[in-house]
Amino acid sequence: MSNPLSLLIVISATLALNVTTPAAGSTENAEGKVDTAAADIAAGEKLYRKKCRACHGPTGKGVSSYPKLLGQSVEYLADRLERYRKGERFGPNTPLMAPNAKKLSDDDIVNLSTFIASFE
Amino acid sequence: MTNLRRSWVLALAVGAMVAATPGWAQDAPSLKHSVVLDNLENPWDMAFLDDGTMFYTEKCKGLSVRMPSGETKALLGMGGVDGYASRADDLFCEGQAGMMGVAVDPKFSDNRRIYVYSTSKMSTPHTNRLMRLVVSDDFSNVSERTDIVDDVPYKMKASDHPFGGPGAHNGGRVRFNSADGYLYLTTGDTHNGVVPQSPTMMGSKVIRIDTDGTPAAENTPPVGFDKRTYTYGHRNVQGIAFHPATGTPIAAEHGPWHSDEVTVLRNGGNAGWDPRPNMAGRGDCPGNYCGYSPNQMVGENRFARASWMPMTDFITYPNAMPPIWNNNGWSQGTSSAAFLKGEAWGEWDGAMVVGIMGIAFGGTPLGQRIEVLKLSENGSELLDVTTMSLPMEPGRFRSLVAGPDGSLYAAVDEGTIHKITP
Repeated sequence: MSNPLSLLIVISATLALNVTTPAAGSTENAEGKVDTAAADIAAGEKLYRKKCRACHGPTGKGVSSYPKLLGQSVEYLADRLERYRKGERFGPNTPLMAPNAKKLSDDDIVNLSTFIASFE
Repeated sequence: MTNLRRSWVLALAVGAMVAATPGWAQDAPSLKHSVVLDNLENPWDMAFLDDGTMFYTEKCKGLSVRMPSGETKALLGMGGVDGYASRADDLFCEGQAGMMGVAVDPKFSDNRRIYVYSTSKMSTPHTNRLMRLVVSDDFSNVSERTDIVDDVPYKMKASDHPFGGPGAHNGGRVRFNSADGYLYLTTGDTHNGVVPQSPTMMGSKVIRIDTDGTPAAENTPPVGFDKRTYTYGHRNVQGIAFHPATGTPIAAEHGPWHSDEVTVLRNGGNAGWDPRPNMAGRGDCPGNYCGYSPNQMVGENRFARASWMPMTDFITYPNAMPPIWNNNGWSQGTSSAAFLKGEAWGEWDGAMVVGIMGIAFGGTPLGQRIEVLKLSENGSELLDVTTMSLPMEPGRFRSLVAGPDGSLYAAVDEGTIHKITP
């Protein structure tokens, strides 16, 4: 491996996957809404920078053929992440997205969705 | 099995060439950084005049110019985009397609011509077009549009492939070669299995023409090929640069799930990409395109992939142009190439730089970076490679251009054009 940066990225990505054990539960609270009040925005930001930023851009504007997240609601984002996690397919970028969603816990999804929905 | 072994040996041999020695890395100059423009939408390419005037494209918006004073002027907008001096309603963006490369005529001071490559719906099926434009004296507008290439294929419909939406693989870089004076345009395979080896479909080619779109008289493609063809059998060339000593064109090309490549081009040469099904030992493939097969939706060993669907198929095409760099067998989104120039770069003066956008899939490291390649004096061999220690955050390096001031300008998809200065 002649590329120290790549190696560093691999190592840091491995060390920094601060995701908890995936649970096939639900991200909705008793009212059927995503529980944003319980969201840890800082954890969502950290996870976004590690797992989402490279494709969706630092502020969710989307780049190249990777879709824009800016402007999407918390409910939409959480729903998509949950369905990706379950193995549902949404289009040609599914193979890139699905492995990332598969590792997310319910808390991760709430944190991420709440953070992304805060983009302006 | 023999074929598989040979391909593995080749892949490992090319990979071994990039084993960096300490010397080249230690020659790295200290770099500074500033932001030239920010908050752009998918900036795709830049082209400079000697005084620092910078034309730039945004994939879904259009063509603009940044004056040496820092003032920007929006020149040519795409369909549905307001705020530009002119608008071309046929130009549109979709997926990877849109407004891409830009180049300035070497005789700009006399003819004020620039060249812009963009996706257009003027005809159906839609195509990618290379437009010649004339810039007004005060840089406030462009006029006299002439489409000197109007037939580069465009992918109209989605297909069952990764990144399979419409608009895939258009190539897109436009550059003049000061050694021969010709205009070069790089194109892509549009996820179509027959395009790369087609003699007449102008995808997957490096096109060499004059400023009217006429083929360069010196082009020597095989019999039956469109005379504009300089090289063919590419996948999706988004980088081309010319060796400073010899003028030889060198392409940087985005691999499938493996093998980004840098290739020294040979007039009339075949780059050896042929993703057709039912050949080279393969069976059927989704959408008659084997480009991501086998197991196109899941990660797999990159060398095994390369042996099954090689980026450069030496078994079928023994005379194919060999890559001098293959990114250690990875595909991480190699997009653009340039040569550094100026004594301030020290040992890196004259080195080739390659921009990599980053793709993390199936165990592939993301790899967003700029690679610095040391070539032999005649540019035919790779001697060493190292990764630029960036003075800013990495990003999706879409375009690298050596500016007239000796700085390296780098556009990232995220919306910024950086200036990197030794």
